[in-house]
Amino acid sequence: MTTSSEEILLQVPHVRYKKGDGTLYLMDQRIAWMMENRDTVSISHLYSDIKTQKISPEGKAKVQLQVVLHSGVSSTFHFINRGGIQEQSADRDRVKELLQTLLPKFKRKVDKELEEKNRLLSTNPTLLQLYKDLVMTEVVTSEEFWTHHAVQYTQAQKTQQQAIGVSGAFLADIKPQTDGCNGLKYNITADIIECIFKTYPAVQKKYIEHVPAKLSEAQFWTKFFQSHYFHRDRKYVESKDLFTECGKMDDQEMKKDIQTGVKDPLVDITTFVDKSLDECYGMEVEKTPGSSGTVSQAMIKRFNQHSIMVLKASKNKHPEPESSDSSPSNVKGVEVSSNSISNGISSADDAHVNKKIRIQEKITYEDLDSSNDTSNASKSILNLSKVERYLHGPMPGSNAEYLSVNDASSINRNILNECKQWQGGRQQTSNLVSPAAAVGALGELSPGGALMRGFQEQSLAQLVPSDIEKEVRNLYLSLSELLNHFWKCFPPTTSTLEQKAVKMHEALHRFHGTKVKPFEDKLIRELSPLSYHLTKHLNQLLNVAYQKFNNWQKMKTLHR
Amino acid sequence: MKMNTLESEDSKSSDFSSTDEISLLVIILDTNPGQRILRDNPRTLTQCVDSVIAFANSHLMQKSQNKLVVMACHSKTSEFIYPNSDKPLDVRQVDGQYEIFTLVERTIKRNLAKMIAAESTALCNESLLAGAISMALCYIHRIQKTKPVGCKLNSRILVVTGSGDSAFQYMSYMNVFFTAQKQNVVIDVCALDQHLSLLQQGCDITSGLYLKIPQLQGLLQYLLWVFLPEPPIRPKLVLPPPVKVDYRAACFCHREMVDVGYVCSVCLSIFCKFSPICTTCHTVFKIPGPLAVKSKKKKMKL
Ligand SMILES: [Zn+2]
Ligand SMILES: [Zn+2]
Repeated sequence: MTTSSEEILLQVPHVRYKKGDGTLYLMDQRIAWMMENRDTVSISHLYSDIKTQKISPEGKAKVQLQVVLHSGVSSTFHFINRGGIQEQSADRDRVKELLQTLLPKFKRKVDKELEEKNRLLSTNPTLLQLYKDLVMTEVVTSEEFWTHHAVQYTQAQKTQQQAIGVSGAFLADIKPQTDGCNGLKYNITADIIECIFKTYPAVQKKYIEHVPAKLSEAQFWTKFFQSHYFHRDRKYVESKDLFTECGKMDDQEMKKDIQTGVKDPLVDITTFVDKSLDECYGMEVEKTPGSSGTVSQAMIKRFNQHSIMVLKASKNKHPEPESSDSSPSNVKGVEVSSNSISNGISSADDAHVNKKIRIQEKITYEDLDSSNDTSNASKSILNLSKVERYLHGPMPGSNAEYLSVNDASSINRNILNECKQWQGGRQQTSNLVSPAAAVGALGELSPGGALMRGFQEQSLAQLVPSDIEKEVRNLYLSLSELLNHFWKCFPPTTSTLEQKAVKMHEALHRFHGTKVKPFEDKLIRELSPLSYHLTKHLNQLLNVAYQKFNNWQKMKTLHR
Repeated sequence: MKMNTLESEDSKSSDFSSTDEISLLVIILDTNPGQRILRDNPRTLTQCVDSVIAFANSHLMQKSQNKLVVMACHSKTSEFIYPNSDKPLDVRQVDGQYEIFTLVERTIKRNLAKMIAAESTALCNESLLAGAISMALCYIHRIQKTKPVGCKLNSRILVVTGSGDSAFQYMSYMNVFFTAQKQNVVIDVCALDQHLSLLQQGCDITSGLYLKIPQLQGLLQYLLWVFLPEPPIRPKLVLPPPVKVDYRAACFCHREMVDVGYVCSVCLSIFCKFSPICTTCHTVFKIPGPLAVKSKKKKMKL
């Protein structure tokens, strides 16, 4: 039912839906379709439920528009304006365009969360299993699930926000593909774009300026890859395109970087000069006039800029606004006081002191400090008594007994006599093993025998089919999750804990009823000998929890 | 023997097909006259020795390259009784028996008799099994070092004893067990009289088999059934399942096994009760408050 408070943004007649003719309405919250001569809406989709819209391709006999919902359901509307195909397309396009502007608004609101949850579920099979067992069976509600049971997943999500740095070779990694007719095709992803923006802020600036107002995204990137800016030599002076300005901006940025220098008193890159070895030996080299330099210089410059930007990209995330210096030593986190160089008169002294501190840092090791040795003297030396206690095992002392000399000599005599018999050649007196003893031994060593205890259980485990095993595992997974929350409520010192305990107790009962019981019934049907064993422990876990809960309830009523 | 059908498919035949693979078996036979079974009936010695000889010959029979060493262990000494340390005995074929088998029997019996004759009158029922095992490990190590290149030697030690295991040898036992584990030497134990919890740990550590036999009359049957198969093929056989070994530690105060105990954070002594002064290193601990007993102290499960 359309309520009167809803605003109708667009109304398109002559729209067919499933062989019925009617009118399509686009309201501020939803899209609706009403059969002709009826006053109830037969189709209604909230914009937030709609995943995408699709339109039939140009030139097809039927002009159609389809909306696909997140649930996978889709509705197709057929535009049948009697004015012909042009009118039909016009109708359709009005709907399409309005939807296009409406859908993103709703997407932002609802889908962010939904998609995030979907993503979490699809990337964590354990969580998905829990979701299936707990939410789909209505043991716990979806809200409870996300707030209590999936916390570690959603939180892990939050901590994972460390930005990934820029790969030094990312531009080289964008491999163009030839399209067969003298052209190149670049495939770029959102990640690559991010990298390009990080390395070339000027490009980002241009992007914001031009897209989508003046150029489409694809056009922009095509231009980028075609530009001299992107290409190796970057002698942008001669050409005039969108990115010429970028080069100049980069130059300024670089100049700034060079002037700032590196705030490390042990490194002074401002004194670096591009000189070849020959020059140092007095061989003058003709300087090419103009700042553009040779192609190779442009190349080196570009490499330097690229490196600076890559390093900066990883630094921008630091809270301190000292991103202007890009020395590798700073990236490593060496502390340098940042006001050392820029502060007028005292800067020389400061620099000196800083240098000293840095050198000191480099050459001393705290743990090798001699002061540590002296403090050792005051430490007590380990003074152990009854050391033999370490040497005894877990045995209750020795059970050694010494025999009296008389006993010993008589035993020795007996044994020696026994030995003497051996020397008298071979004696075929008796069998080494009597048949009865051998059969007895075999009986003990056969499955079920006295020496084979524990073997039976092992084979029981082998009898369980893998799907049942998986089911048992899933049951344990879900039950442990519930029990975990149940036991966390004890002792229930606050009323929220009390409420949670009651809630979890109910959830346990629901779980028992919807998952454990049916599984047990299935076992009795399919694997009768195992039925009891497999769920014995699960039931035990449940019963202990129930008992705890009941005792607590009893205590509560007693105290009242 | 019965094959365990579940694992027979993935059996690696290569374990045994190579002729370059030699199996070295060191049997340590406890012949200490002081042990109960020998005191009660001296004839038992003959039965044990004969069973072990038959078992040893079975081992040699499995493969002509197989090696055998037999040691005798007493309360004060352990000796190699096969092979002869000097030149081997001169044996002729008797009754059509394979000469080596005759040699094994003669050598063992002769050396054992010599050793027993030299036994002093001060008898003790405790045998130096740890010492014997370490001698065996040394021997195995020597053979490993001198074996030809490309030949694979699988070594194991079988201890056959009627003595008990004692706390006095605890450290020595642990040392040999872990050495054996490191050297890939399997230690099997056949207990004739008492349950041997320390040696059982050794079997567990070196993934050997421990068996306390219920009746001495069937000794050879137990030996052949359980201990003759090489360790690599044992998983494919239906053998007595490994028993859960109790690795709990004993407290220093009462020598009683503890599940959860107090460990001195300075000297690692184990106690079953909290005491404010460690009796080993005399460290003084703060007496914990009545509520914080559990959290303040280091608990250790062993
Ligand atoms: Zn104690
Ligand atoms: Zn201590």
